[in-house]
Amino acid sequence: MFEKQERTAPGPGAVYPLPLVTEKKRILVADDSKTIRTLLHTALESAGYEVDTAEDGPSAHELGRDGGYDLIILDQLMPGLLGLEVVERWRSESIETPVVMLTGVDDDRTAVESFDLGVVDYVRKPFRITELMARIRMRL
Amino acid sequence: MIREILRWLGYATIVYFIAMQTYLVLLALLSGAALRRNHHLRRFGRVGEMLSSRTTPPISIVIPAYNEEAGIVDAVRSMSIVKYPRFEIVVTNDGSKDATLESLVDAFHLEKVKIPYRPDLESMPVRAIYRGRSGVDITVIDKENGGRADALNAGINAARYPYVMCTDADVVLDPECLVNSMQRVVEDRERTVGVGGNVRPLNGSRVELGHLIEASVPRKLIPRMQILEYVRTFLSSRPGWSWMNALPNVSGAFGIWKRSVLVAVGGFTRGHLGEDMDVTMRIHRYHLERGLPYRIVYEPSAVIWTEVPDTVRVLRRQRIRWHRGLMTSIKDFMSLTFNPRYRQLGLISWGGFFLFEYLAPMIEFVGWFVVPTAWLLGILNTTSLFWMVLVAFGMGLMNSLLALLLDESYGYFNSAADTSRLVVMAVIENFGLRQMTVLWRIRAMIGGRGTQAWGNMERRGVANLAKQS
Amino acid sequence: MQERIPQQARPGLRYSLVRTAATEIPQLATLVIFAVNAVLLTVLVSLKAWHRRRMARTVARGEEYTMLLSRHLAYEHCTDPITSEMAEDPAFLDALIDLRNAVSGDEIATMREIVRRHGVIERQVARLEAPFPLGRRLRAAVALAEIGDETSAPVLLRHLDDREPEIRIQCARGLGRIRWTPAIDAIVGRFGIEIPWVRARFSDTLVGFGSKATWPLLAYIRINHRYESRGPALALRTLAQIQDDQAVAPLLEILAEATDLEVEIATIETLGELGSPEATPALESRLGSPQWELRAKSAGALGGIGDPASIPLLVEALRDGNWWVRRSAAAAIARIPGGIDTLYEALDDEDHFAADAAGEALTDAGELVSARRRVEGGVSEDDERLLAHMGTESRG
Repeated sequence: MFEKQERTAPGPGAVYPLPLVTEKKRILVADDSKTIRTLLHTALESAGYEVDTAEDGPSAHELGRDGGYDLIILDQLMPGLLGLEVVERWRSESIETPVVMLTGVDDDRTAVESFDLGVVDYVRKPFRITELMARIRMRL
Repeated sequence: MIREILRWLGYATIVYFIAMQTYLVLLALLSGAALRRNHHLRRFGRVGEMLSSRTTPPISIVIPAYNEEAGIVDAVRSMSIVKYPRFEIVVTNDGSKDATLESLVDAFHLEKVKIPYRPDLESMPVRAIYRGRSGVDITVIDKENGGRADALNAGINAARYPYVMCTDADVVLDPECLVNSMQRVVEDRERTVGVGGNVRPLNGSRVELGHLIEASVPRKLIPRMQILEYVRTFLSSRPGWSWMNALPNVSGAFGIWKRSVLVAVGGFTRGHLGEDMDVTMRIHRYHLERGLPYRIVYEPSAVIWTEVPDTVRVLRRQRIRWHRGLMTSIKDFMSLTFNPRYRQLGLISWGGFFLFEYLAPMIEFVGWFVVPTAWLLGILNTTSLFWMVLVAFGMGLMNSLLALLLDESYGYFNSAADTSRLVVMAVIENFGLRQMTVLWRIRAMIGGRGTQAWGNMERRGVANLAKQS
Repeated sequence: MQERIPQQARPGLRYSLVRTAATEIPQLATLVIFAVNAVLLTVLVSLKAWHRRRMARTVARGEEYTMLLSRHLAYEHCTDPITSEMAEDPAFLDALIDLRNAVSGDEIATMREIVRRHGVIERQVARLEAPFPLGRRLRAAVALAEIGDETSAPVLLRHLDDREPEIRIQCARGLGRIRWTPAIDAIVGRFGIEIPWVRARFSDTLVGFGSKATWPLLAYIRINHRYESRGPALALRTLAQIQDDQAVAPLLEILAEATDLEVEIATIETLGELGSPEATPALESRLGSPQWELRAKSAGALGGIGDPASIPLLVEALRDGNWWVRRSAAAAIARIPGGIDTLYEALDDEDHFAADAAGEALTDAGELVSARRRVEGGVSEDDERLLAHMGTESRG
């Protein structure tokens, strides 16, 4: 899990405007690459979301199931359980949290399957932070 | 007269061991040079390039499975996220008596299919073929029991891609093992017919979700001894042999072969106890006899982890089986031994195998009786005997230290406890453990009821392997 | 220490020599060996300790740098300082590269600015230009390739001729990432003289340039395809990945002139990947070629073009005597709109092999799994037929 550290508070120049609601939305980021976890954690927090992270399939599954998140960003290839399998499990446990899937794999077949399962969006790596943020804002 | 004979026998035995250690030291130095050349090229953007290149050849991972219900699904799952652009997994269910097949069908939503199956290699009859497409490109062959070699052949028949990786169901792959080994293939597509990888014992290491988290050295003596053995073989012998293109054995746990070559030599030999060495030597011979340019290389950075026996009983079975396999191979390839027609293979590596791997237990066993007897009878000079034994022992220790040093750049075993355990083992293995293995090999030579072809280890299932001490 | 002197002992020179050989030399050897062992042990222990400390420190620093750089990316006016000390740290470079590879778009501009401000490029260039050690040069080449900054282009271009193959590869790669157009000719020009695996990597690089590489590649192929096959074949496959339609007409000319089988195969494959209908006549005529490779590849290429008018010819190819041709034809039909239905019909074909090929193509196209799913909802005839043909039972 990511440890919170001292950091610069978002100032007037922050790129991503803070959401207008007072209660912070909670997002789960699951990816086995530490760099990506750090990057997304920083970027999302700067936009005013509350972020938790997971580094493999099973812990992503557990956290997603119990954590009550507003949105989940999930990597397709993680140790333990594949991203799609995690989503399958959530759906069978009636967890309806919207899921944005991250993937580096150029696989159209997987894309179709994941939409069938209720994955709301599909982002290829490397991604644009601005674009990802826009997609997240749209979902929340 | 007898005294003369005993004297010569006595000294000859010690000299033999000194010669063996010298051979190993020279090989270690050669391996060191080979590793240094390799060292630069590791980890330099290679993974990213090969992953995105369309010229990276696809591979079929072939896994023979017998009674593996405990861990087969987890094993396949962890293999499916290896970093490689295009590959498929072919599992051969070798007539298991447990739920191996069922657990695979359930976990991966497999369907029975009737696809044309090209029996390029002979094998026991295939009962059915299953295919699945949910995230993992997996094919399962269900066939009648025929042993590991036979199961591999069936798997190779069903493999679609030009390269085949033969491995086992209970190994943990390093995510980059395929990229690292195929890099050697891509360097020289035409000549490279086989790549062997680095097998490391898993015992005592922390494994989670089918992935290695941290390698450490167990406290138990039996697995610890094997760690040292494996490091010696894989770091200070194989790189040297590979450089000479005289690699006598591509490990069965990690061997990548060009499919067409395997088919040309008739695949693995059914029922052979050392089918990996057998196929390697046959492929060497095939190319040497026809004057075809080729090379079989060893890639130390292509790593897989496997569970090694941790009790005396299981280790004994394994070593007897290995030695019997070696005996068969020695017999089959006798004509290569010290035969200049087979160049470095015949003269150096296979010759070395014969001399120092095959003859060693016999000479040592005889030596146990000859040397003390000769000494007690006053035939051998105590002083010189003492120093010569020390030379042999010292060189053995040097070999172990050299191997550990060569292993250093790979970054495993970093705690003080790990290092000291291995160094201590290098010393104490000479006082009992080695002698034990010699006895087993003599037992193997005497023959009698051998072990079953697969020597079932009690498998804990890789995913459940807790930290052992 | 007792010495039993043999009964026939002959005192004198010979005895002394033998005695020396038997005792002095082993004694000396033992001392040397154990001294070496002591050295080895010391080196081993200290190396491990050093490695461990370095590892721990590097990992910790790498994490800090990643966080620092992430903040620079996330906040437009991030004031966290990056000192020149940090910029010289290899861990900083690694973190920079990892982040650079994780993002695209505007963030790359931010990274580039950080890079320029801290002289990262200059440092790496200096290392690359040094004659040795190889390890550092290689690392510098990789870093330059990964960072992909234009200012390094001239250096990379120069080092396309480097004596080390790996460095040549990284330089080409870097030029591709920068999209440095003047490099294209230099890279294509080296196709003929490079060793095979380096050439393959160069091919990957050219794909990064996109259609700017089309004409240089075509020129190379036109000049060389009569003399050698490997280079032109690779150049053709590169064109396939670049996906520039302008190449179709020249490729058809090359196809007409081609004398080498491998070149012909590669041209056919490329035309299939480009998918332009202009190629259809040439491909259809090769469906009747005496060589099975050409029949198979043409069938596959027609699948890539996707013209339903080709289906009848491909159905005939399903009955070809060669297994690979049948398989390619079936796979091709599956890709063409309306082809799936044709394949379902082919399941009933009298030619058993044709039916098998159709069944296999349907399975590969995912039809088998979908059929199972549909059956669970309500049976359709087609699905029943497929399942029956493949030897599976319908559970519906």
